[in-house]
Amino acid sequence: MKRWFVRLGWLALLAAAVFWGWGYFFPNPEHVIRKELVQLAQVASIAPNEAPLTKLSKTQKLLGFFADDAQISLDVPGRSIRTFRGHEDLQQMALGARSMLNSLKVNFVDVAVTVAPDKLSAVADLTATASLPGEKIPEVQELEFHFKKMDRDWLIQRVDFVKTLR
Amino acid sequence: METVGEELRKPAWVRRVLIGRNPARTLARAILWIILLVVLRSYVLLPIRVEGVSMLPTYKENGINFVNCLSYVFRAPQRGDVVAIRFTGRSYMLCKRIVGMPGEIIAFHHGHVEINGELLDEPYVKSPCNWEHAPELIGPDEYYVVGDNRSMDFDNHTQGRAQRVRIVGKILL
Repeated sequence: MKRWFVRLGWLALLAAAVFWGWGYFFPNPEHVIRKELVQLAQVASIAPNEAPLTKLSKTQKLLGFFADDAQISLDVPGRSIRTFRGHEDLQQMALGARSMLNSLKVNFVDVAVTVAPDKLSAVADLTATASLPGEKIPEVQELEFHFKKMDRDWLIQRVDFVKTLR
Repeated sequence: METVGEELRKPAWVRRVLIGRNPARTLARAILWIILLVVLRSYVLLPIRVEGVSMLPTYKENGINFVNCLSYVFRAPQRGDVVAIRFTGRSYMLCKRIVGMPGEIIAFHHGHVEINGELLDEPYVKSPCNWEHAPELIGPDEYYVVGDNRSMDFDNHTQGRAQRVRIVGKILL
């Protein structure tokens, strides 16, 4: 009887290892994208009194999430909808924001990921919040992230601003 | 004769108040209450905190309220209802009043709402404004929503056509 329990225990361990290994070597695209979005929100956030080197490295890290020909449309408060194209444009925007703002907390909530049947592209619908220092209410925007799988990475190809009220 | 163990026990009435006569029944009742509260909170009455000034003076900032998610199960939203409109989920919602119904033409003229060319009576609006907005057709599955506080510029106030699927429910209080 005891032997059987030991065998069962080993079997359960083996099953868990196979499960973990499968997830590690063949990750679920949805999980990868969700994880990437969490990291993107962290990198896009600006810590108070960020050092210039940190600003630069975070900007470079931010660009790593986007494809070379990425396009972003954002509704910047107080301005009309602005579109940024390509890494150079994005870099300027990110550096400009980092030099202008002392701190910023970006958060993505209510994320819904839809992976295409060919598993080479995906769309993530989410609500982005940006909290600025001194402002009680965060800026809330609905965004649509279009991902494309390039080699093993999921890169953002397009970010569209969605109007909640038309 | 009392034993030491009985002396250390809590008095019978304390135990009865805390866990009832039958602990198994009390536990079952507690689990049932928790399930009921979770279901109620997730699907029936959604607690919200009002942030911002767009619904002043009807709803003040930081006020606690509830969204009745069942209000539009058997009937369609009505003009004058204050509703919660979701973004991609329910973490953040817009709190607005329905002023235009599907298929109507809405316009703002001298700060007043005009529906199909006729002035809409809005007793809840306490701040006069001079909003001007060209006539706009509301789609068949859309409702025109706007806040009660019209003291800011038209462009700085979040208003517009909300799809029916985005309306989560009616504000309860």
